[in-house]
Amino acid sequence: MSKKKNGPAWLMVLPLYLFTLVFVLGPLVYMVVLSLLRRAEVWGVTNQFTLENYKNILAPVYLKTFVESFRLAVISTGIIALIGYPFGYFMAKLQGRWKQGVMMALMIPFWTSSLIRLYGWIIVLRSGGVLDQLLMGLGLTNGPLRMLYTYPAVVIGMVYALVPFMILAVYSSAEKMDWGLVEAARDLGASAPKAFLTITFPLTLPGLLSGVILTFIPSMGLFFIADILGGNKVVLVGSVIQDQLTQARNWPFAAALSVVLMILTSAMIWLYRKVAHVKELEGLL
Amino acid sequence: MKRLATILLALILFVMIPGGCGKKAETMTLYTWEGMFPPEVLEGFTKETGIAINYANFDTDENMLARLSEAGGGDYDLVIADDYIIETVIAQGLAQKLDTAKLTGWGNINPVFQGQFFDPSNEYTVPYGSGVQTIVYNPAAVQKEITGYADLWDESLRDNIAVIGNYRVVNGMALKVMGESYNTEDTAVIAQAGQKMLELAPNIRLIKNDNLQDDLLSGEVGAAVMYTSQVTLAMLQNPDLKVVYPTEGVGFGIMGTFIPSKAPNAEAAHKFLDYVLRPEVSAQCFEYMGYYCTNKAAESHINEAYRSFLTLPESVTGGEMIQTVSAEAEEAHNKVWTEFRAACGN
Amino acid sequence: MNNKSRFPRFYLVFLLAVMYLPILLVVIYSFNGGRLSSVWEGFSLRWYGTLFRDAAIFEALGNSLLLAILSCLSAAVIGTLGAVGMQRIRSRTAGPIEYLSTLPIMIPEIILGMVFMAFFSLLGLPFGMTTLVIGHTAFCIPYVFMLVKARLVGMDPALAEAARDLGAGEVQVFLHITLPLITPAILSGMLLSFAMSMDDVIISIFVTGVSINTLPIKIYSQIKFGVTPEINALCTLMLAATILLVCLSQWLGRLHPKGE
Repeated sequence: MSKKKNGPAWLMVLPLYLFTLVFVLGPLVYMVVLSLLRRAEVWGVTNQFTLENYKNILAPVYLKTFVESFRLAVISTGIIALIGYPFGYFMAKLQGRWKQGVMMALMIPFWTSSLIRLYGWIIVLRSGGVLDQLLMGLGLTNGPLRMLYTYPAVVIGMVYALVPFMILAVYSSAEKMDWGLVEAARDLGASAPKAFLTITFPLTLPGLLSGVILTFIPSMGLFFIADILGGNKVVLVGSVIQDQLTQARNWPFAAALSVVLMILTSAMIWLYRKVAHVKELEGLL
Repeated sequence: MKRLATILLALILFVMIPGGCGKKAETMTLYTWEGMFPPEVLEGFTKETGIAINYANFDTDENMLARLSEAGGGDYDLVIADDYIIETVIAQGLAQKLDTAKLTGWGNINPVFQGQFFDPSNEYTVPYGSGVQTIVYNPAAVQKEITGYADLWDESLRDNIAVIGNYRVVNGMALKVMGESYNTEDTAVIAQAGQKMLELAPNIRLIKNDNLQDDLLSGEVGAAVMYTSQVTLAMLQNPDLKVVYPTEGVGFGIMGTFIPSKAPNAEAAHKFLDYVLRPEVSAQCFEYMGYYCTNKAAESHINEAYRSFLTLPESVTGGEMIQTVSAEAEEAHNKVWTEFRAACGN
Repeated sequence: MNNKSRFPRFYLVFLLAVMYLPILLVVIYSFNGGRLSSVWEGFSLRWYGTLFRDAAIFEALGNSLLLAILSCLSAAVIGTLGAVGMQRIRSRTAGPIEYLSTLPIMIPEIILGMVFMAFFSLLGLPFGMTTLVIGHTAFCIPYVFMLVKARLVGMDPALAEAARDLGAGEVQVFLHITLPLITPAILSGMLLSFAMSMDDVIISIFVTGVSINTLPIKIYSQIKFGVTPEINALCTLMLAATILLVCLSQWLGRLHPKGE
């Protein structure tokens, strides 16, 4: 491969390289530096170096929030994959206008305020709310479930907020599939499940895997759903970071928590890629 | 898709045009939460003085201070925020002294809200509303009669209480029950309060700041500790609710108005302050906000239906205010709070 | 054939229905007579009245739309070119850069907003639309990049090679071969980016200028008093407008079916 041949490709990646180095790496370096400083007594930071902030994270109460964040992210991502994969897959099989229609129908709600949508869920989930009335009307339950401000309510909120990422990831890899291959396999006598497992699934796997990453990453840091639908009782790292910045005024500790969260999330993704054994995704994180 | 984008762009331009026109007039930048002034008051000021108001918003006091200190006390002409943060703002040199000669309505201020810790000699701030953390409960949904914070620990209230998400207030309840000060800096005492809080945890159904009154009104909880504006909304909706000023004593907070040290248009800020100090205008503001009125002269102008909610009872004005504590104590509070929240979830 | 295709349709419609349930309630409660966001007090158009008298909120909406479009476009350009180019350069730097570019969605917004603010003022950038677009582009790029990348994986490179052998220039190959193949992924990424940008509040609060309010900032700074159904009314109108636009463009597309 001569250098000349790659010249245009380098030009293509240049904007990404520049943007990332300046506007992502720059702020992140600042964050890491911040995490190594001592807080000022009243406001801001001093220029003293310290590892104190990292030591503070080791307190059981904060370690627990990491475990809690991880647990919620895994549960949510799992459910999202189960729900979102078929959706993306079916969507890719639709014809032109239908496909566009479903895509739009999927995205439009997400263009309105997430806070207001969560209020919608509150009305659904609260005791004597829409869900209760539906279930009691069908004779499935006798009294109110008191579902709001519980763990399942948080999971519902997380799945609702993040499922489009999974759907669109699966969709965009399933959409390029050559359905002729499946037809051919069926003609050769393969059963529908077998054709799916041997042809469709491997071909849409990259989409599923990047969908998992796209939902897992934000779900580690997302906390306002847990705060609103869970009544602040599911304590996630993001929420502690928020408290540190907006109440305790301890910026360095918030930065240290963020650095650890970042490292842990990256490690999870790395591990996931190793376990999933996807050669094609080499380099995807 | 392309077509859609074109239509969208056209629409944006359409929406932007009215905003873009007429920007040449003198402006004043007001920096505070959304919903602090009824639109009529803002419009009235512009009509009278020709000064346009640029209403910029923040969500929390700390984010405001972060922005303001980044701007070196410039960019904004008038800021309204909570008392404890103003103390820090002044200490950081980010506020300028008021020229009281320009404030003809200075005498209208209720002196009860002046001379407080954040501005002891009233040089920097004009109070704009006061709030108390109050217990409100629905007698139909709560067996016990609640008179103070200690009653919230009662077993009959299991999974039936909502509290606001401010840890100084909530931890403060435990401190008050123990007979301590809100502002103790003794970490051992704070940790002890933490133990007390864990006993309260089974009774807590939810913790949140926004629209807490909805949960009380819809029956999700039977009792709630909430902010004054929420109390006002809840009482207007359901007069059968009971408001309790806890026997342990309550802390009241004040929102204050200050002019940043390098405000581009401090002159206009003074004019606006004076405008808002007028009794009729002030009354309009408090009716709209639902906070306790800090303007003595305005009280008689407030609508009868609101008046009782908007004037602070005498018994409360002597309460202790929540102030900034040492970094160490803050840390202890934060730990206690995080543990408490996690315990509520189990 | 018929029997087989019924389940997928049912599944899609059912899931969409669940997703629209809270939206439907948002719409219903926009006609609520009272001030509370989840307690019904009878039908009224009161909040629409309030909304139309509120010029500031429409200005904020305009800012948000402009911001969302600018950042999803920049993310689309940077992310797409990056994903396509990276597949070809096979450089050691690709992995780390790719990793770095995804970090903005990994850490909570509040700390990101703070460091952005500090960093921009270090660079001396004036706070305003520029800083907003940079901040939003940063968290939009990963979505476009990852979706395009997933689409590129396993795509037959022979097609592009063949075109190159036949004498097509790099630009031509990209425009006529690669781009059409990855368009669905780019569009999906842009839709997500648009949604993320329209909804971001925390980063915006830190990096916005004095005179630019976005819609989410307006909504979240109401929290002190409780968000009123005015926002429901606004969301309802936005939904209606979007649906109208989509229908309109579909209808126009049917009249002149040349683009497809």
